[in-house]
Amino acid sequence: MKRNVIVISAVVFVLALLGFAGWANHLNRVHAALQVQAQQDQANLVSDAAGVGHLASPMVGKAAPSFTLTNLQGKKVSLADYKGKAIQLNFWATWCAPCKIETPWLVDLEKQYSPQGFEILGVSFDDLDQDDTKLLAKEKVDIAKAADQLGIHYPVLLDGDSIAKSYGDPDVFPTSFFINREGEITNVTFGLTSKDDLENNIRKALGEAK
Amino acid sequence: MMILRSSALMLSVALAGLVATAQSPFDNLPKQSKAPQSVSYLFPEQITIPAGKPATVDLHFKVAAGLHVNSHTPAEEALIPTTLKFPEDSAVKLAKADYPHGEPFTYPNDPGQKLSVYTGEFTIHTEIVAPKGDHLLQASLRYQACSNELCLPPRTIPIAIDIIAK
Repeated sequence: MKRNVIVISAVVFVLALLGFAGWANHLNRVHAALQVQAQQDQANLVSDAAGVGHLASPMVGKAAPSFTLTNLQGKKVSLADYKGKAIQLNFWATWCAPCKIETPWLVDLEKQYSPQGFEILGVSFDDLDQDDTKLLAKEKVDIAKAADQLGIHYPVLLDGDSIAKSYGDPDVFPTSFFINREGEITNVTFGLTSKDDLENNIRKALGEAK
Repeated sequence: MMILRSSALMLSVALAGLVATAQSPFDNLPKQSKAPQSVSYLFPEQITIPAGKPATVDLHFKVAAGLHVNSHTPAEEALIPTTLKFPEDSAVKLAKADYPHGEPFTYPNDPGQKLSVYTGEFTIHTEIVAPKGDHLLQASLRYQACSNELCLPPRTIPIAIDIIAK
């Protein structure tokens, strides 16, 4: 009788262990699926009609992932706050020289197309040392200074790294996501393009061009 | 006895199942890929130096084709300098690091912006001090690379050198 109790207890223990393994396995699968999704959301190298390779994002045609970030003034800003507007999410950093080349174009284009309902949100990917209050304050001042020197009047949001994953983990700067009034990503550009190219993408996001 | 046998059978089946379920079909997936390193450490991998005295060691690096990295003294404060670092707790100390001068660089779209960069191969001349014995130095180089059209985030590469100090 005593032996039976021991054996049955052992079986129950193993079955509980099995249940735990199944649960852990499920978590692994979910994690792996997210990893695969993130990989799929990264840019792919494709060739155009002329055979020139360029990066294309599989996020085009998808809904822009929602986010809330803090701007330079410390105010929370959400993508949802801009519902009904065409948006250019411009991922940049103070250490990115090509970003500085395109910024004056962005400033001009924002001014030109804001009456039609177009807004630019600059998302800074500069490192922020959240554990060091003094350094963090200096980093924020440096970003604000850079934005001021570049004549940026549109909102600059901090800690782009925190939303990078949902936007396909772009590791090329500048990167711009163009979002139409319905919240759908109409195009993504990687690296410095041209003012004309940016304008075409803005007009497409506004529904003025195909 | 019958209960015992069937229980033992159940136990072995359960254990086999446990091993099987622990193996996820995604276990062999590669980790999420990031852009490859733009700078590689070339050599030396092993050096023999006199113990307790500053020894001159040249560290050789290579920047990937089509890219440049900021020199140790970039033209603008906001740019991230290429910097060699030894771990603070290492017995091997970096007494001196002479970085090469950067080459002048201007973006075709912005001739007014003059940068100081490294391209191709570059060498950092160092003086290293190590106590007697064998040491595996795990140093690092932080850099930030760009091309004519885009920039990649700041990265750090490991530099492993087997140091024999006699």
